[in-house]
Amino acid sequence: MAVERKRIEIPEGLKVKEVVEEIKEFPFDISPMYEGERIRKEDMFVELGGPGIKAKFELVIALPMDQVNDGKVTIVGPDLDEMEEGKSYPYAMIYYVAGKMIETDLEPVIERRNHDFQNYLEGYMHLNQRYDIWCRISKSAIKKGLKSLAQIAKATMMLYKNELPFIEKIEAIYITDEALVEKLLKEVAMPIYEERDKRVEMLHDEDVDVFYSCTLCQSFAPTNVCIISPDRPSLCGAMTWFDGRAAAKVDPEGPVREVQKGECLDPIKGEYAGINEFAARESGGEYTRVCLHSFFDAPHTSCGCFETIGFYIPEVDGIGFVHRGFTGTAPNGLTFSTMAGQTGGGKQMVGFLGVGIAYFRSKKFLQADGGWYRVVWMAKELKERVKDFIPEDMRDKIATEEDAKTLDELKEFLKRVNHPVVTGVVRPVDGKKITEGWKEEVEEVKEEVKEEVKEEVPATAPAAPTPAAPAVTPTAMPTIQLPTIQLPQPQAIPAGIKLIIKDAKITIDKVIIRKAEKGEK
Amino acid sequence: MTVIAVTGKGGTGKTLISALLIYFISKDGYRVLAVDADPDSNLPDALGVEVSSTLGDVREVFQVSRDKIGTMDKEQWLEGKIYAEAVHEFEHYDLLVMGRPEGEGCYCFVNALLRNILKRLVRHYDYVIVDSEAGLELFSRKTIEVADYVVIVTDMSKKGLETARRIKALSEELNLKFKDMFLIGNRISSKEAEDKIKEFAKLEGFKLLEVLPYDEAVVDLDVRGEPIVNLPEDSEVYKRMRRVVDRFLNIRILDGVVEWQRGLRLKSF
Repeated sequence: MAVERKRIEIPEGLKVKEVVEEIKEFPFDISPMYEGERIRKEDMFVELGGPGIKAKFELVIALPMDQVNDGKVTIVGPDLDEMEEGKSYPYAMIYYVAGKMIETDLEPVIERRNHDFQNYLEGYMHLNQRYDIWCRISKSAIKKGLKSLAQIAKATMMLYKNELPFIEKIEAIYITDEALVEKLLKEVAMPIYEERDKRVEMLHDEDVDVFYSCTLCQSFAPTNVCIISPDRPSLCGAMTWFDGRAAAKVDPEGPVREVQKGECLDPIKGEYAGINEFAARESGGEYTRVCLHSFFDAPHTSCGCFETIGFYIPEVDGIGFVHRGFTGTAPNGLTFSTMAGQTGGGKQMVGFLGVGIAYFRSKKFLQADGGWYRVVWMAKELKERVKDFIPEDMRDKIATEEDAKTLDELKEFLKRVNHPVVTGVVRPVDGKKITEGWKEEVEEVKEEVKEEVKEEVPATAPAAPTPAAPAVTPTAMPTIQLPTIQLPQPQAIPAGIKLIIKDAKITIDKVIIRKAEKGEK
Repeated sequence: MTVIAVTGKGGTGKTLISALLIYFISKDGYRVLAVDADPDSNLPDALGVEVSSTLGDVREVFQVSRDKIGTMDKEQWLEGKIYAEAVHEFEHYDLLVMGRPEGEGCYCFVNALLRNILKRLVRHYDYVIVDSEAGLELFSRKTIEVADYVVIVTDMSKKGLETARRIKALSEELNLKFKDMFLIGNRISSKEAEDKIKEFAKLEGFKLLEVLPYDEAVVDLDVRGEPIVNLPEDSEVYKRMRRVVDRFLNIRILDGVVEWQRGLRLKSF
């Protein structure tokens, strides 16, 4: 399945120029200050690639050490001294790289730097990447003595070796022959790009040692710490693990940083020692654990920018999702904006989870809690958008606002389609049955204790407001909204007593609010 | 690189002033980037040019396309689109229209990318002239790094002066370190009003660059919907703005900035 990596063949009869000797001096200045330099049409000598040219690409190919001629440049097709001023030409830049640490996974990381390094060259502009590249060489660069693309290639390779020391050997092939560029684009470059994009799907949390953290939005939520892993892209939708890797490499001290994942404490929930440590530190102690693929246990926090919100519906023991832009009301009677208030702010609020749309695509989507098999309701527009990721046997079992607007309608629907939550969800990741299914009507408050899963609750109540809070304020107004989310909530407990609730489902039949007598807590 | 922000109460003539600054400074041979930062954009019309795409448009395309970008570098993708579509090349200057403000969703990431991209872009111009909205949001949000000079435009009204005062106060509050803040009075039709503005400038600590009269030639163009750069050379506003630019460029020399670039450029004519 992998595209073979080998040296490209140069057909007979084409003009080939080979440069092996070292070039010590360049007729152009080299410095990061030239980044962003824009060469205007009237200032350009020639354009290479760009919107007017169909065939253009840049590609890095990792090869074994003995197949790379270090420092060699090959130009196929017309060089600068044969080009007409003001015209545009087809352009391909291929780099062979070799080194102990180099493997095909590093190719895109190395390839991206071509853009950065070529922009350090005075009088040379590089835009875009892959098959979109657009380069221009300025008239003043020619005036200063630039004669051949080999000089550009040599300077670029020098920068590569200086900045990326794990590249032990690098060779460049620059092609300006239209037919060859088109052929290689189709037969070599595109298949490799596609293979890389597919890699996104194939790379998983267990395959890498580092995840990335992003604190770009900490100005809005100071305790929010986003962890981006291959199986969990950012909730704001902006970043994948690959984006994180690129950002951290370019600016290691910036808002996106590498985090060693450390020992895996729970592969199903996605809990890692290194991540816990990092989260405890960066959240200022607000929380000490993060489970990447769990809804109920130490869920990932949000700043407020989530693309969707997952909410727990205890009446059916299932999870619902709404997306930003959903203007209606979910079966729990709440809207996106109301729930957003509970979900954001950098706090772990069990019962709500901010999620990016890309996470629905993940193989580990909420796997600790049954993934798709625990999802009972989704806003129609959202469901449409991600329907390709819903397992076939669940597609018709998840209700939308067209199927159910109220809890009763939802219960009816789920019973009718025989949704797993009715009889008990078996989570696919390990085949374990994690919920009991619906019980008959509850007459009194009942507490169910299960052996498998244990949830320890600290003795002191958290300072954060809980969904139940509004209803138990002693000075509540006459009209009180019964909380629709009921979860094991730690109440204020006298010191010295530890409350341990094991896998409880607490349903409250009556909430009695009365004014506290004098002396009562 | 010098950034000049033109601001002031709506309707006082910011776009007129911006357009003429761009026109004169770019004709003098400097590399100019004109930035229209007013969501209710008129700068292209004032300059007599058309734009096909704005920064806001590119940003929105990014927001909806980002999932499909695959493993490609998002910043490079965005940068390419901005250079190709949002930065418009005209004979003497380049023009970037910021366009519509943010929509729904999270803009943290894309704005972070845009800041990096714009930072690299503006470095390569001698002058960046920004037609701002009546405030300093562009700078307080650090979309463009702090301006070197701020030109506040006011008319005869008390409201215009009040806005000028507020902008100055805001800049001090936000600790935006401008090299200087200038005032230009526009559409000043009486000696009394002129004196009032001079007094105001002195009191509030503005350098008064110029007082422009109510000019029939300007009104004429406005009514006909013609670009302001078509202003006849003998009109008062044209003459005075030409003087402003000369004076301004001199102030820069006096500031200690060596204008050798100008010398080099003029030599090539």
